[in-house]
Amino acid sequence: MLIDMHIHPIFYGPICEDEQEVAFRGDTFGVWKQGPMDFDELFAEWNVCGLTQAALLPLDVTTTAGGWVVNNDEIQSLCKLYPDKFYGFASVDPHREDALEVLEKAFHQQGLRGLKLNPSKQKFDPSDPCMEPIYSLCEKENKPIIFHAGLSWEPDAPAKYAHPLAFEEIAIRHPRLRMCLAHFAWPWVREMVMLMIKYPNIYTDTSLLYVDSPEEQMQQLFTKDMGPMWFERCFPRQVMFGSNGPRFRAFKLKRALDKVPMRDFARENLYYKNALRFLSGEEG
Amino acid sequence: MVVLKTIRHLSESVEEYFNITQQVHDIVRNSGVKNGLVAVITAHTTTGILVNEALPCVEADISEMLEKTVPLEAPYLHAHFLPTYGATSNNSQGHLKSVLTGNHCLFPVIDGEIVCGGAQDIYLVEFDGPQLRKVFVEVMGE
Repeated sequence: MLIDMHIHPIFYGPICEDEQEVAFRGDTFGVWKQGPMDFDELFAEWNVCGLTQAALLPLDVTTTAGGWVVNNDEIQSLCKLYPDKFYGFASVDPHREDALEVLEKAFHQQGLRGLKLNPSKQKFDPSDPCMEPIYSLCEKENKPIIFHAGLSWEPDAPAKYAHPLAFEEIAIRHPRLRMCLAHFAWPWVREMVMLMIKYPNIYTDTSLLYVDSPEEQMQQLFTKDMGPMWFERCFPRQVMFGSNGPRFRAFKLKRALDKVPMRDFARENLYYKNALRFLSGEEG
Repeated sequence: MVVLKTIRHLSESVEEYFNITQQVHDIVRNSGVKNGLVAVITAHTTTGILVNEALPCVEADISEMLEKTVPLEAPYLHAHFLPTYGATSNNSQGHLKSVLTGNHCLFPVIDGEIVCGGAQDIYLVEFDGPQLRKVFVEVMGE
């Protein structure tokens, strides 16, 4: 079993009928020279690395960019096609007046499993008190939040909103709210480690691949940026496999992670058990 | 007279030797061109067009030779974030193997048939799969 907790389904065939919409997604997300792909191509890649499920992430940038990079309805429609493969997440632009209504609909009517927010792209300070109703709703509904953290390649997305320390007060105020600060908050890996040691409700994922080959980057992360024992010794229940598709190819990250030395229990946690716990709040 | 056809193939593994010999011969036969040339050209830079004998042992030897010459793990420069893609390049091995195999082949066409040796099979070789791939087959002549 392998769960990819970080996929942006921008080019998934069934939601790519409108060329202008696909172009908007690409330009807003900052990804080019790729195009719509059918599920046979997608699942061929899954089969190479044994990927069995994936979290699909939309992004609502209505007030900052004038649209969505995949919307909640589209996520719902993809999940209906493959309910055994996809975990659909919701998004909401925190600046919109009906933010709570959008979220309640996503959780109660659309069956979405959590919330995706990108403070850099959506331009908000994660610890701003105006965010409290959204965090409280997620906590009350037992829905986890995946925050973008660290470097964002999206245009017009200042990294100051995505520094790991910007999220600490949320963890203090909401100890039962599970949140993933994605991408190991790269390049702020040490700060990410500090948060995970202190707050068991903070998770991260492996979707970072900015400066090296997958093998080099994963070795750097798990044996140099962190001590080689830190993951399995200190926070083995808080790191999830994530690829950040379509920016990075999942099977290459998996191939690289397979080469990182770690105990079997830690590898199982990394590949799927932590994701299951993050999604449900319960042991898988 | 020029006839252009496209062969589409979804590779299902990272490296794959896909025999397109029959498809190319059929395209030539159906093209209406009696005498001329056929060009088989991949649309990609991490695939190859290879002409060789379609035996599993030959495929394995070619694959091993390419892997030794261009190993997966080496300090390639093409392993970083590409701003023009918004994605990370990590397929230098595929690019370099593609260089070694070449991106096309040519055969003469006489009396509406490809003229070739009995062991000359045509492969589309995938070096960065799985992906949906295209090969152009252009038949030129009279």
